[in-house]
Amino acid sequence: MGPVHHDLAGGPAFEPMIQIDMEIKAFVSAWRHCDYVSTYMARMISQNRSDSVRHSSLFSSAFNELLEVAFRTRHADGELACRVSRHGATDRIELIFPCVPEERRFYEEAVSQVAGIEARERYLNSVSGDLAPSREIVLLELAVDYNATLRVEDADGDAIKLVVDLPLEGLRN
Amino acid sequence: MSPYDLLPRFKAQYDANNQEFSISGVVRPQAIDELGPSIALLRDAIGRVRGVLYVNVRRLTQMNNAAFHAFSRIIIDACRARPDLKFVVITSSVVGWTSRKFGRLSGIEPNITVEEYDSEFYPGQGFLEEGGFVPILRTQTKMTWRHERAILPRHGMRPGIVMADICCGIGDFAVLVQKEFQPSRIVALDHSISSLDYARRVMREFDIRGIEYTYGDASEMLLDEAQFDLVTCRHSLQIFNRPELILKELYRICKPGGRVYITNEKNSHCLGEPRAESIRWTYNEVAKLFGHFEMDVELGPKSRRYLIEAGFEDIRVETFMVTNLDGDSQDFADVIAAWADVYAGEMASKRGDCPEFVARFRQGFQDHIFAALHPKGYAGWPIWVASGRRPQ
Ligand SMILES: C[S@@+](CC[C@H](N)C(=O)[O-])C[C@H]1O[C@@H](n2cnc3c(N)ncnc32)[C@H](O)[C@@H]1O
Repeated sequence: MGPVHHDLAGGPAFEPMIQIDMEIKAFVSAWRHCDYVSTYMARMISQNRSDSVRHSSLFSSAFNELLEVAFRTRHADGELACRVSRHGATDRIELIFPCVPEERRFYEEAVSQVAGIEARERYLNSVSGDLAPSREIVLLELAVDYNATLRVEDADGDAIKLVVDLPLEGLRN
Repeated sequence: MSPYDLLPRFKAQYDANNQEFSISGVVRPQAIDELGPSIALLRDAIGRVRGVLYVNVRRLTQMNNAAFHAFSRIIIDACRARPDLKFVVITSSVVGWTSRKFGRLSGIEPNITVEEYDSEFYPGQGFLEEGGFVPILRTQTKMTWRHERAILPRHGMRPGIVMADICCGIGDFAVLVQKEFQPSRIVALDHSISSLDYARRVMREFDIRGIEYTYGDASEMLLDEAQFDLVTCRHSLQIFNRPELILKELYRICKPGGRVYITNEKNSHCLGEPRAESIRWTYNEVAKLFGHFEMDVELGPKSRRYLIEAGFEDIRVETFMVTNLDGDSQDFADVIAAWADVYAGEMASKRGDCPEFVARFRQGFQDHIFAALHPKGYAGWPIWVASGRRPQ
């Protein structure tokens, strides 16, 4: 099963489901916030999925990884915004967080790698490698294990917007 | 700090008898040193075992990539250092992400295999799960509902509550409860994909709202603690070889002050007139047949003891008898005919029963049907209802 592709311009209409905004300072003050936010949002948006407990568990694992990525950015100020919207079987996470231009290029690079054919290979190599998973590998894993599609979009000021589409409803074990 | 921060979020254990390392809960460390003791435990286990090390992640609800990498590395390294060693990772189909993610490991090291666990607590599953049984389950629920709708309010059922129906089957009970009592939320859980598909189809077709059908294993549910005012589990404790494990889970998800409601049979007490003797003989044999497959369909009157031993208080027990006089006596007869099909058919042959036994066994069901349809006859199927309150 390959990733689900969406037409960027004039693509399907995603219905907004839930949004959380907070000061990045407050967010990075405790690691547990990644877990809180991912667990809470996963529960809220999974209620009307056909298998709510399973959906929530999958969504929370994917979303937590993204939040951990944002956490590691450790930018001193600005806002963190998380938005979830839905179109049919796909849930879209939009994560906006402060980030300097070099980092922005890093993410653009990382996301373009995710689409590459050898993504799976590189992910497997990283699992048996010495290094703890980098942010790039974390993004790769979303594509490999959750069939996610990722992209980077423009955000106002010194910020980045990661857009991740997760077709969890159709995902088999 | 909130109380949440003080709770240990995961647990790692090693069981030397079974050569099994298990890790459960939510493992999302910021830094790997937070895992120190569990990693040391895994290393130690690897040092001790011979042959196979089982890695049980059935109840591992969450694990971030950092932790996954740390544990995987140890296992992969061990495979390389000790080619004599095999790893079997046991996942649960319920968690969703574990089978895929741990499954990748076998692509890296052939000595790592991943097995998706499915309930061993229900040896008889196959007999009842087949599609043909669906109409009978529906008729059964229709017959028991006539009684239970009046009984339920005495066991904690009221509008607005949050409830769970565990082992919900095809979901008819949840639908009837939803219509009659309007709880604010119903979570209905079962381990049969085909039953849940059926239940969801009914929900869509009849535009029913407020029921969340969930795939899960009643002996290890992913539902949070203490969240339901009422937890029902109907006709199901009796089919598990270790009902106390299920009851422990029902207790866990029930709120303190909430109630757990169970119904069970005592099959040997099914009765009828005329032809009482033959009917009695056959249902005594039904109980023995289920016993052979480690199911206790005599559980009904033991409910009180089970509830007490699970820690419940204010225990209430009552019985009711479904009879041929309740509604349509043909419904009653249809249910018996379906039982005969499964019990004297597939189950008896699986046990290896001889034709003479099967003939006599079948006769009792036929006599029960005869009694049900007889103009002066009476046929009954008794059910035990019991509930207990989880202490505050
Ligand atoms: C005898 S039926 C009772 C169904 C329903 N409560 C009723 O009264 O019609 C038992 C149910 O338990 C389910 N079951 C068996 N093993 C299970 C498990 N480990 N976890 C959850 N449900 C299970 C079966 O799929 C089946 O639907």
